[in-house]
Amino acid sequence: MSELEQLRQEAEQLRDARKSCGDSTLSQITAAMDPVGRIQMRTRRTLRGHLAKIYAMHWGTDSRLLVSASQDGKLIIWDSYTTNKMGPLVPSLRSTPSPLRSSWVMTYNICPSTCWGGMLPSPAALLDDNQIITSSGDTTCALWDIETGQQTTTFGGHSGDVMSLSLAPDARSFVSGACDASIKLWDVRDSMCRQTFTGHESDINAVCFFPNGNAFTTGSDDATCRLFDLRADQELMMYSHDNIICGITSVAFSKSGRLLLAGYDDFNCNIWDAMKGDRAGVLAGHDNRVSCLGVTDDGMAVATGSWDSFLKIWN
Amino acid sequence: MDEWDLPQWKKEVDSLKYQLAYKREMSSKTIPELMKWIEDSIPEDPFLNPELMKSNPWVERGKCTIL
Repeated sequence: MSELEQLRQEAEQLRDARKSCGDSTLSQITAAMDPVGRIQMRTRRTLRGHLAKIYAMHWGTDSRLLVSASQDGKLIIWDSYTTNKMGPLVPSLRSTPSPLRSSWVMTYNICPSTCWGGMLPSPAALLDDNQIITSSGDTTCALWDIETGQQTTTFGGHSGDVMSLSLAPDARSFVSGACDASIKLWDVRDSMCRQTFTGHESDINAVCFFPNGNAFTTGSDDATCRLFDLRADQELMMYSHDNIICGITSVAFSKSGRLLLAGYDDFNCNIWDAMKGDRAGVLAGHDNRVSCLGVTDDGMAVATGSWDSFLKIWN
Repeated sequence: MDEWDLPQWKKEVDSLKYQLAYKREMSSKTIPELMKWIEDSIPEDPFLNPELMKSNPWVERGKCTIL
């Protein structure tokens, strides 16, 4: 047997050895639980102003302002209560470190303490006032020092482009979802990959941490969302339906984590009972793919952004 | 992964060994703890606690005035 073949086999055995902690399934334990019931939400606001597909949105920590980024090259900060725009921003390239310069706007984060705004290649996560984590097109993730524009750490190991990142609530680790159908958990400080999760059958487009940091959810082109347990190192649940055959673009949890919200290519957003695996509701109203969504920090509303150029606020 | 060469496979095996050393817990323990966390948090979840949604900032409370 060639050395390559030996290594391949060894890798397979090492992966299988991790299944030992899956002695219970979520479905078994939640079988006796009451279902969450029908969740119905209404569109409370429609934010109109972008001229092209919306790619990303992010709520401010005040649960009132939000920012959106569009293929039209603009970033707009909205007051979601009044729908007023705080002025469209055309990012100044002078103010961004050169390695992070991007010819089109993809992602934006609001830091209300300083009203800091930046142009970040997506996906990206703001670690603190001076550090961001981004994915590079070469299957790695990177940690950058914003002031110097230098890359301080590289996270390598995926075998496909990284499509999505989510920072843990304690900011000590993050998960990355990639086109190799796996998700990796990384330690920010030592840059080691601590865990790898497989199970999806296609590109993973979205990842989001569970509110207490002990689990995370994913959305994939394989038309399923899944819930993964970090402590047991196992997949816990799959959220799918025979009628759903399109990819998921974005995922988020409600404040308690009981509801999982997911945006789909079929223009809808589905609300899943995260514990029982049933669909609890639908947000229908966009005229094109839902490309991004986010729940406010206080859990009062969810915003969806779409290729139809609109954002909607629901609760 | 199919196109990986020997050094890349060595790196993958090393990474998997490192990951295997992680101290995992049984899901029969972690799942009930996850469920308990959710149960305890539901009263603070506006999507599941209608009391909290009574002060919905996106719904007008006052009556309209004719100017």
